[in-house]
Amino acid sequence: MKKESKRGKLATALIVIFLFALVMGPGPGSLLINPHGSEPKFWLGVPALYVWAVFWFFVEAGVVLIAAQFIWKKEDENG
Amino acid sequence: MVNLNFFLSRADLGNTPYVVLIVYLIILLALGIFGYIRSKGTEEDYYLAGRGQGLLVTSLTIMATFFSGVALLGFPGMVYENGVSAMFIALNLPVAGAAVYLLGNGIRKLGQARGYVTPGDMIAGYYGGSGVRIVVAILGMLYVLPYIIIQIKAGGGLAQQLFGENMFNLGAAALSAVTLLYVLVGGMRSVAWTDVLQGILLLSGALLAGIAVIISLGGIEPFFSKVADLDAKQLTMHDPKESKWNPWWILTFCLFASLASIVQPAQWMRFYAAKSSKTLRQSAMIFAIILPSCFLFGVMLVGLVGRAVHPPIDPNLGLIASNLPEGLNKPSQIAVFMLGDQLPAMLGGLGIILVSVIMVAIMAASMSTADSNLHALGGVLTRDIYDKFINPSATEKQRTMVGRIVIVLATCLALLVVSLGENTEFGKGLLETIMQFFFLAMAFSCQLVPPAIDILYVRKGTRAGAIAGMCTGGAVVLATYLFSEKEATQYLKRIIDLGCLAIIFNVVVFTIVSTITKKVDPSHIERFKRDLS
Repeated sequence: MKKESKRGKLATALIVIFLFALVMGPGPGSLLINPHGSEPKFWLGVPALYVWAVFWFFVEAGVVLIAAQFIWKKEDENG
Repeated sequence: MVNLNFFLSRADLGNTPYVVLIVYLIILLALGIFGYIRSKGTEEDYYLAGRGQGLLVTSLTIMATFFSGVALLGFPGMVYENGVSAMFIALNLPVAGAAVYLLGNGIRKLGQARGYVTPGDMIAGYYGGSGVRIVVAILGMLYVLPYIIIQIKAGGGLAQQLFGENMFNLGAAALSAVTLLYVLVGGMRSVAWTDVLQGILLLSGALLAGIAVIISLGGIEPFFSKVADLDAKQLTMHDPKESKWNPWWILTFCLFASLASIVQPAQWMRFYAAKSSKTLRQSAMIFAIILPSCFLFGVMLVGLVGRAVHPPIDPNLGLIASNLPEGLNKPSQIAVFMLGDQLPAMLGGLGIILVSVIMVAIMAASMSTADSNLHALGGVLTRDIYDKFINPSATEKQRTMVGRIVIVLATCLALLVVSLGENTEFGKGLLETIMQFFFLAMAFSCQLVPPAIDILYVRKGTRAGAIAGMCTGGAVVLATYLFSEKEATQYLKRIIDLGCLAIIFNVVVFTIVSTITKKVDPSHIERFKRDLS
């Protein structure tokens, strides 16, 4: 029962992080970096907006990986 | 349209592309025959490969079906045209990856427990009645048919560019015949096995393109210093007043377009065909990580640096052929334009082979979409229309035969439309209309998302609610097509993805109608819950 509730909490956290990543990455969060009409920014010589896209891709992919390993796998094992 | 003339004219490639193409087609036919030898002759085997597909086949067939030729050429073209903001659409792929498990595994469980083959089987199986099955079949066909026709047209265009101007009809017919043959003889098994080859080609082609261009420009640092030369508009998000590449449209696209491609009939049938939960769980991880990586670190970078290396002549004018560098007719040709130039010069004989492989990868992307949709069309028309309304007492053998006849007729009809489109004014108009529907296809298919989520997770909807919701969503898509010239429609389409807009209407109507109409029998719901656990 305790493990079930732990998984439930993890699932909720992952959903929140995934939705946050969508809002911050492709969504309006990208306006924090380089909105239209602004001067392009660069981080270590790479366009900041590209780094931003790659970062939020890693967050999204990480959430899917964690969900698969710690939630979906357990659900499958429990039938 | 794919323009491979660059590969053939910009470098001396000799006969290598033709040899690679012929070897590729022979392998496809061999896989088709092998699939036929392994088949058991049952309906379940023909449509779902006996529901026993393992990880390699499931993951690659899902990825190959997800992308048509648009992936390899359209994405770098979009980035060439719109800059970094267009790269954000790759972030819809982890959403689709998650849906492979979250929707796909429930669909698989119900399919295995209840012998479902098509999306209509599951949705009508839950809500009951024929009306819901017809609506699901129509929405499925609105997705499948334009895709088949456009991919066959792409095959004709490819032959025209490879073998000469008057080879369009013959080329389209020959490529359709190869596709038809392996779909016909081996069913899902052959389609999925050929998708493995096509998926590997597509992924390696996408990644290789980016790596090759970075190396050819001298490494990562010189690559990004070239990118830094781009003007501000290419490196910042766009204004919704000017373009759809703004955060609002991209966010709604990422949320819903990915789901549309995951619930299309061909993909839905792949979930039924998967062997186990583990297969789909691991496929979801592979999808969410590998596919976006191939685009973000591969072919999309080609489009980005392509704009810096081969900018339009006048930056203030549109990207029409007369304003683009010599030899580049439209933005979607940028990847081929750059690779055809640089790979052979950089790597000699190996470069020529790589160029040839990428050329075949472009074709593979089109063929994997055409074969999956042809196969799905056979299933939908046989199970949802023929078996339910024309000949309900049909035997399994009759149904499989009818499915094969549908596939042959659909291929012939698609060829006829493509040929008319090439040779007559009437056909041109027809093909243009079909092209419009091709762009609406995902918005139609994503109307299946609300009933799918209701069946798998919520279980509060009713039959009337599901029908009303899907019809409303479909009507919204049609309305935006009919009123596409209106200023308000144009603005709406710049701030919200069409599929997302239609889903909102779908969900609202589905919810309201479900609260006032007859509920699904609780014992029926319990049996579904049991099958899902």
